[in-house]
Amino acid sequence: MSSAIGHSGGGRISIRNVTKIYDPDGAKVLAVDNCSLEIEAGEFCVLVGPSGCGKTTLLNALAGFHSITSGTIELDGRAVCTATHTEPPSAERIVVFQNGALFPWYTVLENITYGPEVQGRSRREAREQALDVLAELGLSPIADRYPGEISSGMKRRVEIARALINDPKVLLLDEPFRAMDALTKGVVQEFLLRALDKVRKSVLFITHDLEEALFLGDRVVIMTTRPAQVKKTILVDFPRPRTFKVRSSARYLELKAQVFDAVHEEARKAFDAGEREMA
Amino acid sequence: MNVVKIKKAIFSKTLLRGFISVAGLILLWEVGRRLKLPGLAAVPAPSEVYQSISASISQPKFWDHWISSFSRVISGFIAAQLVGIPLGLMMAMSRTFHATTFPILEIMRPIPPLAWVPASIIFWPTTELSIAFVIFLGAFFTVVINVIGSARNIDVRYIRAAHSLGSRPWDIFWRIILPAVLPGIFIGMAVGMGITWEVVVAAEMIAGKSGLGYLTWSSYVGGNYPQIIIGMISIGIAGYISSSLIRLLGHYVTPWQRTQ
Ligand SMILES: Nc1ncnc2c1ncn2[C@@H]1O[C@H](COP(=O)(O)OP(=O)(O)OP(=O)(O)O)[C@@H](O)[C@H]1O
Ligand SMILES: [Mg+2]
Repeated sequence: MSSAIGHSGGGRISIRNVTKIYDPDGAKVLAVDNCSLEIEAGEFCVLVGPSGCGKTTLLNALAGFHSITSGTIELDGRAVCTATHTEPPSAERIVVFQNGALFPWYTVLENITYGPEVQGRSRREAREQALDVLAELGLSPIADRYPGEISSGMKRRVEIARALINDPKVLLLDEPFRAMDALTKGVVQEFLLRALDKVRKSVLFITHDLEEALFLGDRVVIMTTRPAQVKKTILVDFPRPRTFKVRSSARYLELKAQVFDAVHEEARKAFDAGEREMA
Repeated sequence: MNVVKIKKAIFSKTLLRGFISVAGLILLWEVGRRLKLPGLAAVPAPSEVYQSISASISQPKFWDHWISSFSRVISGFIAAQLVGIPLGLMMAMSRTFHATTFPILEIMRPIPPLAWVPASIIFWPTTELSIAFVIFLGAFFTVVINVIGSARNIDVRYIRAAHSLGSRPWDIFWRIILPAVLPGIFIGMAVGMGITWEVVVAAEMIAGKSGLGYLTWSSYVGGNYPQIIIGMISIGIAGYISSSLIRLLGHYVTPWQRTQ
């Protein structure tokens, strides 16, 4: 498969018995407790679970932003995060953030060339590649705009393009489409699906939107309330390439009911636990 | 900008209103002076000032005053940026450095620049150097505080995103931290420039042998009252030119700011 947005496919992620205790000023918070999760190469794995259960904590550890207390996280058999060693962040595991992190001081094109340039590609080479990527993803018209000049939906698309140009093994998305209106969200979700149809990546995607989870994922992993563990895994077997049509299929409604039940149960527990803490 | 736009700008309502209010002020002042209203009796009328303008500005000395004030402001101001920006960045990035230098800064900062004049004259070999030093101080603290503030406010998401895209520490500094603090640096510069003019004028009045502050003060001492007003207006115009230049530079260096 030849595409400007890469060809390396995905990496295999194994999260094994990971525990993370935050310890700010001695007030220990057990965020993740002995959590295990495997993501196959090229698999789109969606993580859902009650607020504050430890999803971001897990993703940040995989990204290399912080350490874990025990367990191991491996990428293609190489330990990237253990209790004693955290491999620094790198372009093989790129993060797309909840509130977006396009650099406001660079134009769209400069944002896209950022990765290739800091990784040592020449400016001209990076620029050519970036123009190809923008063309392939239909973003050429906004190449010279600043992020402050484009809509939030466009920003998300650019940010996905900025990640994909580096041909990462893993794409980490932490509630990337949160706080978007339903229409824009639909468009950006389709954009992500189309991009990943061109080049498969291993994806860890966090969301609170269960419809989004089913539309995008190969597998939906439902976490328990804090401390995070895997409660239930649901395989989403719609064929790819997917279109919006899957959302009106009978199978979709069936899966939706399953996911809702599981998540609702955990949300209840989280809520009750919160009430108890308050009391 | 094309001709139509320029015409529009010249004949815009805002400009017209501004013109009317300035003209009105001058008229009131002229009338007040003729009627010998209290407070205005001793002030020269605009017509008198106007008459002595040509006499003043035809002297090369007058422009020498402009040049000496401007060169003091520019050298003190640039020195303050050259020392203040790196210092502020270092203080923002290293906790140890911050812990050792910040207390010194905080003790010095509340001292008004003019309070430094006597010590400065004793310390520096020439008056010129001591004035330059006082101007430097005027802009310096503002710069440092603004740089620290904006460096501290950089959203950690940008740093993380940059790391995740494969940046080396060098890239984080040049491509993330520096552009992120630039708007703050320009705010510091604009404020610092205002302080600099206040300081230079006062310092010239106290210790100078030239400059617009000296011109204004010596006109008072010599009884040339219209020239006091000319000196004051000159200072106003000089300050306005300086801050416009900073704004222009800011626009040019941080083009993305216009889009926010
Ligand atoms: N830096 C930190 N220091 C201390 N506690 C933290 C820190 N970061 C997160 N926590 C705590 O760890 C727990 C898990 O947080 P995390 O952000 O991983 O949850 P989340 O599942 O991503 O939640 P949300 O769905 O709201 O984003 C929370 O109770 C949170 O308060
Ligand atoms: Mg989170």
